Amino acid sequence: MDEEAARRLVYDAIDIVNQQLPTAKRLSKAPDTVIVGSGGALDSLGVVNFVIAVEDKVAEATGAAVQLLDEHILVEGSPFHTVGSLARYIAARPA
Amino acid sequence: MSTPQDRLYFVADFNVDLLARQLSNTTRPGIETAIAPAGPVIAALAAGPPAADWSGVVWTRPEAVSETFARARSFERVDHQRAFDEVKTYAAAVARFAARARSVFVPTWVQPPFEREWGMLDYRPDVGVAPLLARMNVALADALRDAPNVFVLDASRWLASAGARGWSQKLWYAAKCPFAPSVIELAAADIAAALDGVAGRGRRVVILDLDDVLWGGSVGEVGWSGLALGGHDHVGEAFADFQRALKALTVRGILLALVSRNDEPTALEAIDRHPEMVLRRNDFAAWRINWDDKAQNVAAVLSDLNLGAESTVFIDDSTVERARVRAAIPGILVPDWPPDPARYREALASLRCFDSPFQTQEDRARTGMRSQERSRRSALAEADNLDDWLRSLEIAVTVDALAPANLDRAAQLFNKTNQMNLSTRRLSAGELTAWAAAPEHCVLTFRVRDRFGDYGLTGIVGLELGAARARLVDFLLSCRVMGRHVEEAMLHVAAAHARAHHASTLVAELVPTARNTPCLEFFVRSGMRAASEHVFEWDLSQPYDCPASVAVVDHARVVTSIEP
Repeated sequence: MDEEAARRLVYDAIDIVNQQLPTAKRLSKAPDTVIVGSGGALDSLGVVNFVIAVEDKVAEATGAAVQLLDEHILVEGSPFHTVGSLARYIAARPA
Repeated sequence: MSTPQDRLYFVADFNVDLLARQLSNTTRPGIETAIAPAGPVIAALAAGPPAADWSGVVWTRPEAVSETFARARSFERVDHQRAFDEVKTYAAAVARFAARARSVFVPTWVQPPFEREWGMLDYRPDVGVAPLLARMNVALADALRDAPNVFVLDASRWLASAGARGWSQKLWYAAKCPFAPSVIELAAADIAAALDGVAGRGRRVVILDLDDVLWGGSVGEVGWSGLALGGHDHVGEAFADFQRALKALTVRGILLALVSRNDEPTALEAIDRHPEMVLRRNDFAAWRINWDDKAQNVAAVLSDLNLGAESTVFIDDSTVERARVRAAIPGILVPDWPPDPARYREALASLRCFDSPFQTQEDRARTGMRSQERSRRSALAEADNLDDWLRSLEIAVTVDALAPANLDRAAQLFNKTNQMNLSTRRLSAGELTAWAAAPEHCVLTFRVRDRFGDYGLTGIVGLELGAARARLVDFLLSCRVMGRHVEEAMLHVAAAHARAHHASTLVAELVPTARNTPCLEFFVRSGMRAASEHVFEWDLSQPYDCPASVAVVDHARVVTSIEP
């Protein structure tokens, strides 16, 4: 999967989690949108919901189950920091 | 449709936060939500909602409510009756919670769709898990039957609609919520529709285009015999099936009307003569079939029906016409409409705007009543003047005290009546019963009929009978009978009751709303003394005369029954 396709999947997941957020706090569909870390709008339930939504979208697109939700999501330098870093991470995963 | 007074309190044995967030941020922005503290559901139910004006959502997993069911899931042989007894205990706790709430919504119990349980044996009586769960759900609904403000919602439909990923084991393990956002979204939509229904915000009329909506093709071009409707053709079948769905709506009390760019005789001939038409002329409460602007025609139909835009759905296959009506008539619901007629029935069902907490005799008879109304209007056209016409109607009003037999309809009127409504109190059946039970309170219902037919229970008076002053707390009348002197007959009855209780003054204080100007105009012309802009008084040393064109039936019986 190329990075652009991965980014579209992340945007689909953003559509899902945005329904749970007040209008003012909704995530914008842009590569530099912060998901996890300083400046992120999601609380812990929101992060879990988002990551599982991304997993589902990747599985739908590739037909293969992926495991993204783990304890490293919240650490410094996590690929979940921004939309762009997450898209690169998904694209770089072996098919 | 959002109203700030909607408040929802969640009691669940799983993490229901996603549902509360979905409702307050997307489905019903502005709604107030709160979640019961973590702990046993039974304890949260016993504690009750934050206040009596909150509604509740009580959503549990079956294995958490019934220990017997949990054992059945582990393939133990269990006594099913014991599971039903556990359901009854749980239902009693829900009913007690509901007695302290405005309304309560209880999603049915569901199982993960991937569970096969006993496989080929699972639907064998006394063995399988799935039939036990189905019977537990029925037992739950039966046990809650007598709680009028509790509504059991079908959660299995949310799971079926959401598909394979609707149940998320991963979300359950990670966040203690077994339902994926797709199910949460559907649950929120149904709960919001139920809130609208309880609050009387359900839509009451569907205005339809004809060509490529009720039938395929343009009747003006191909004639009625050339239309795609019914027969051995998938497109024709789709249109006929859509008509059947609309016809079913009329049984629920939803009116149908037509607004179409066509030649009226040509269109009506198709409606009358096409052998595959499911809907006939009498199924439509009103129509405008001409070449005028559609928005103006929609407004004219609503004027005929005495209904507002907030009560109305407009369905048209043309994006241009939809945009025109949407822009011209604020508040009207104009759904995007699929181009494929095979999707029409599904599109109608997905609107979720017709929910009602009651199914009354008046609902079932409503379309017939509109047909009677057309006969009255024809008589009016032939009458010399309005008074002659009103006298010719031979209107009779039957007065009854509030009773279990008329409670649902009375509560429905409380929640749906806007124009002729003195205080616009929105009361559930339980709240109305409680108010009427106070010794100083009296609720009277008015059933109206004339020589053309029965309008049903259409008026209500709520009185607070003090030592010297009687207060008219509620005065509401269906728009279908407004302006026919039934209002004066209701005042006559209210004054007679107040006099029978030795009150010296009858006081009516109008609470103005955006919709009840007709009520204010009535009281201004009623003959009562205007003590201020919105307060009206009648000196009870004088009776308030009943209009000559209205006969009041059984009034004396009701007065006698409440004599102090």
